[in-house]
Amino acid sequence: MHQRSVLRVGAPLIIAALALSACGSRSDTGSGSGASSGNKIAIIGVMAPLSGDLSALGLGIQHSVELAVKEANASNAIPGWTLQVEPKDDEGKPDVGKNAATAFAAEPNVAGVVGNLNSNVAQSTQPVLATAKIVQVSPANTNPTLTKGADFKTAPKRTYDTYFRTCTTDAIQGPFAAQYMFKAGITKVATIHDKKAYGQGLVEAFTGEFTKLGGTIVDAETINPDDSNYQSVITKIKPMSPQGVYYGGEYPQAGPLSQQMKAAGLNVPLMGGDGIYDPKFIVLGGATSAGDLATSVGAPTDQLAAGKKFLADYAAAGYKDPAAAYGAYSFDAANSIINALKVSLKGAKDVASVRQATIDALGKVSFEGVTGHVAFDQYGDSTSRVLTVYKVVSGAWAPVSTEAFK
Amino acid sequence: MIRIPNIPESVVVKHGPKAWPLGLAGAGLLIFGSLLSWSFDPQVLGDLSISFNPGALQIMAIAQGLLAIILLLADKGPLTSLGQWADTALALRALATWALLFMAIVLVAITVEAGGLVNIEPGGWIAFLGAVLLFAASRLVLPRETRDLGHARLPGWAEILVIVALMAAILFGTAYALGLSDAWEFVLFLMLVTGVVITGIRAGFLTWLGHVTTRHKHVLMLAAFAVAFLFPFTQNGSDANMSIASQVLIFAAAAMGLNIVVGLAGLLDLGYIAFLGAGAYVGATMSTSAFATIGWKPPFIVVMLVGGCVSATLGLIIGAPTLRVSGDYLAIVTLGFGEIFRLSMFNLDGNNGPNLTHGPNGVPAIPDLTFGSFNFGDTHTLLGIPLARFSNYYFLLLVLIAFIILVFARLNNSRIGRGWVAIREDEKAAEAMGVNVFGLKILAFVVGAFLAGLAGTIKAHQDVSVTPDQYIFLESAFLLAAIVLGGMGTVAGVLIGAVILKLLPEKLRFFADYRLLLFGLLLVLMMRFRPEGLVASRRRQLEFHEADEELAVRVEGDIAEVVI
Amino acid sequence: MDTFVQQLVNGLTLGSLYALIAVGYTVVYGILQLINFAHGEIFMIGAFGALTTSLVLFRGQTGLWVLPFMIIGAIIASVGTAVLMERFAYRPLRNAPRLAPLITAIGISVFLQELVRLNYNHLPFTSWNPFNLPDAKSRIPFPQIDVVTGPAFQIGGVTIQRSAIFTVGALLMCAALLWYFINRTKTGRGMQAVSQDADTARLMGINVDRIIVVAFALGAVLAGIAGVAQGLQNNNIDFRMGFLAGLKAFTAAVLGGIGNIQGAVVGGLVLGIVEGMATQYIPGQFGGSPWKDVWAFVLLILVLVFRPQGLLGAKAVDRA
Repeated sequence: MHQRSVLRVGAPLIIAALALSACGSRSDTGSGSGASSGNKIAIIGVMAPLSGDLSALGLGIQHSVELAVKEANASNAIPGWTLQVEPKDDEGKPDVGKNAATAFAAEPNVAGVVGNLNSNVAQSTQPVLATAKIVQVSPANTNPTLTKGADFKTAPKRTYDTYFRTCTTDAIQGPFAAQYMFKAGITKVATIHDKKAYGQGLVEAFTGEFTKLGGTIVDAETINPDDSNYQSVITKIKPMSPQGVYYGGEYPQAGPLSQQMKAAGLNVPLMGGDGIYDPKFIVLGGATSAGDLATSVGAPTDQLAAGKKFLADYAAAGYKDPAAAYGAYSFDAANSIINALKVSLKGAKDVASVRQATIDALGKVSFEGVTGHVAFDQYGDSTSRVLTVYKVVSGAWAPVSTEAFK
Repeated sequence: MIRIPNIPESVVVKHGPKAWPLGLAGAGLLIFGSLLSWSFDPQVLGDLSISFNPGALQIMAIAQGLLAIILLLADKGPLTSLGQWADTALALRALATWALLFMAIVLVAITVEAGGLVNIEPGGWIAFLGAVLLFAASRLVLPRETRDLGHARLPGWAEILVIVALMAAILFGTAYALGLSDAWEFVLFLMLVTGVVITGIRAGFLTWLGHVTTRHKHVLMLAAFAVAFLFPFTQNGSDANMSIASQVLIFAAAAMGLNIVVGLAGLLDLGYIAFLGAGAYVGATMSTSAFATIGWKPPFIVVMLVGGCVSATLGLIIGAPTLRVSGDYLAIVTLGFGEIFRLSMFNLDGNNGPNLTHGPNGVPAIPDLTFGSFNFGDTHTLLGIPLARFSNYYFLLLVLIAFIILVFARLNNSRIGRGWVAIREDEKAAEAMGVNVFGLKILAFVVGAFLAGLAGTIKAHQDVSVTPDQYIFLESAFLLAAIVLGGMGTVAGVLIGAVILKLLPEKLRFFADYRLLLFGLLLVLMMRFRPEGLVASRRRQLEFHEADEELAVRVEGDIAEVVI
Repeated sequence: MDTFVQQLVNGLTLGSLYALIAVGYTVVYGILQLINFAHGEIFMIGAFGALTTSLVLFRGQTGLWVLPFMIIGAIIASVGTAVLMERFAYRPLRNAPRLAPLITAIGISVFLQELVRLNYNHLPFTSWNPFNLPDAKSRIPFPQIDVVTGPAFQIGGVTIQRSAIFTVGALLMCAALLWYFINRTKTGRGMQAVSQDADTARLMGINVDRIIVVAFALGAVLAGIAGVAQGLQNNNIDFRMGFLAGLKAFTAAVLGGIGNIQGAVVGGLVLGIVEGMATQYIPGQFGGSPWKDVWAFVLLILVLVFRPQGLLGAKAVDRA
């Protein structure tokens, strides 16, 4: 009797599906677009969370890379070669990311990979891609250990020569925020972080610079990112009467923290890194978030001419998901790989044989990207040191000052 | 015993004889249609557009047609000697249903992929028509009295040959399925396999196979391991599938350990992933990673034992107080323990407590294992086939799984195992009969934790990095689901459950977002309709269906429990 | 001293929330000896019910008069879910071995979380979203009610938030109504009878199935109110909020003595205060907010070791 019930459910579904799809036309994809021109194929992989909580950011990365590749193919950037994008989901999890990286490593046509979003996923994918000598450019990893090793403060040592990134590390953003706060006359600050590589790194870098300038850290607390009630931490901070709170972490926690701080009568600005520079912070923080501050890397995307063009092109390409926080960096990451391939693929017979040349070429790229000048230092970190401070003004982030970090 | 449904006399007279030619015609059309072109667009589902050069899916359809012809000929015709034993009518119904579904999904797939119904060539329609006819015929075929296939015997060597053939089919089937990158093809292949397996069940073939495998238990075990061992050699040096396969093995090893706790002793442990995590953290912190926090670097075999012992100790600490109270408390306390473990690993970063784990960042850059001069990270060539990093770990994990299965089987078939069954069935009665309830419960808990700890130490090296968010509650739930899905207290069931839960999501990325939703629903439905799991231990099955008299008779009839 | 009182207030607020949820565990356990592991999700659904009511019917309104409607919305959502859950998942398993309902509960829990996460703002496989509801994949801000979420009161050095008063008040009112319901109504006394001996109660003409549904519904009402309280306090809700809250509330129920309604309330308050104090007064590296959950679960284990019947004594503890 079992099959009967399968049928009873299945048959109408299938009939409905057939009926729905009946109004199609004979497809003419038979003559493929890439193959006909006689070009060879080079693949740029994307590893990012394409499903799950962080998928908004991941899909922005994917589409930005697709846009970069589309433009490169249109302008025939690498004569004789056609670029293709191959996205793989890492779900924001190290295990899954490792599978994706292994799959890329097994493909001879993969020329480079853009990703990952999360630093802890990158930790798992770095060695896999390094073994296969495939370059990896992350648009979003900010953990310093990824490029400079476990002792990045005392004895920096490049860990994987295939790994590069277009965003700045926590070691620059934190001090930049400290300088801004101190200049604004705030000398007593409480710090809170979520214990993740990103948040902790930011707070450590902030604390170092802030005390060097002569400010005082009145209290240092941590929260668990799974929590949504921070009353106990706020209670501990409030009696110290800080003039500001520096938060290392991301907007899902920072927004409610700001709201709860102010509801509990702690009316001081909250400042954070690019992790809280998101419209959602203001939505979660409510009306009382006005005056909160955030730093972000590079000049505001919509103020640079190139950035404006990127956003316009992205909108024109009609992708379903917005470019999100890391779109511009992903676009630059993809273009840095494309620029390296321009050098390494010239006259090459296949992708796999020029992987070492690609690594060498990527270390030397230098061009004007949509986030500013793109180039890498000897560790694979971005050389860009321009940062911007943003402030919540009437329900939106408004740029306050853009400077190069010294 | 095969029940024959009551069919009105008129139906028998009117339709019985027509079924046979109709069915043959249907099967013939299915095969003929499959030889023609199915799709106008050569880009979709492999190339199905060339007549008389069938693609993979067309070969699958042909195979179904041939199987249908064999069944029909066994019903009436030259193969009737086979028909005496096999219930061809029921089998044909199952086969025809799945063949129809198969063809329908093929048509949907072509329509969706190529953009429109017009892309289907006549061959596709002919094959579909064949499937419809076959389906109609199968409804008209009359059930007959058959002899119990369970009593059928072949010469010993032939039975062993059947096992070997079956195992070879599994090996190549798995390798083929893993090689399919297109989700439609993968789903259709799974449908074919499901259809054939259900046909086998309906025909009574699987019952017979059950008897055969019980008679040749050792051959089966050996063949199964040989298949598992040979699997990496089918991959031509590609590591992509081996990466998934070795993760399946880790998951299966942990699930087997949990199976001792849940399946044998009946203790619901919802924080079991913590024991795997404890092992992994031991493996990570005692490795030579630059981030490792423990200075002592003994050989890996010692690390494994330390990992196992640390896990076992944690098991003892958590088990000793809670095993005295009822099972429900245990479930929640272990859940709480899982959270304590995760939060502790999250916190021990030097800011809150000593720096042991680097907090949420975990311990990255764990180097590959080396045994003597054998580095697990290198590619080694054996018999001309390169075996890369994950293949090496795969072999190591295979050894671990063999060990765990050995422990499991030894415990299950001993005094201890019978004690566990007694506790599971009725704790108070067991105590009254002199079973050391508390001691046995602790033993189950500790052994389970120990095995997970062993697996964890290997996982640390295989995964390269260890972070707290790999050990969340959901992972414990997944392990539990593998057991529930496969069949509590069985080895084969849990292995199948582990493969299904780990492999399908990797292959079916397109429903990635709905994966957990389906997973939750699956747990509820399994508990409602088949609580004993896909591969049920007979004893278990009876526990869940106490009212089923017929089943009770059957279980009593089997002298030895069929646990493969 | 101010800090002590402040943490006491924080603890009581948190504890009231736990108590409201814990009652649901304890009522169902008292009658069915079943740990309804999915009760935390009922709480979560309650919060989303209130959010939906506010967004669909009163978009942007922050007057106090919206609050009762939000509470009703929360209760409808949570009770509806709880009753469906009982009918379709638990009832068929009533005579199954004990593992079955627990595993079912885990399944329901994951299913409900995912259902809200994926389908809160549209029907499955469509993008139909007539009320323009927000995406539930990340945290959603909870509507604010002027009177309840406005500026906090300052009494000496102690800050008392308005939402805290709402939460504690809700607990007091619910406790009083619950006491009246259990002891003074026919259905309530029927519940008592069933929890003492279901078979005898059936013989006495009590509709046991109905009583069980009432027990699930009763727990859901309180969980729904707790969902609103948490939303107002934290200013945001998400699909994950039920897991930890449920676990804590279960701890509270065990702490007070599972099956005992007063016990659940006392257990909840004690647990909340312990958490508050642990954040402030456990010195050194193992104190502070990161460890507070760990201490809560350690407390659970300690209670099970030394006093498995809980602080006020459970109805029945099944000791091996």
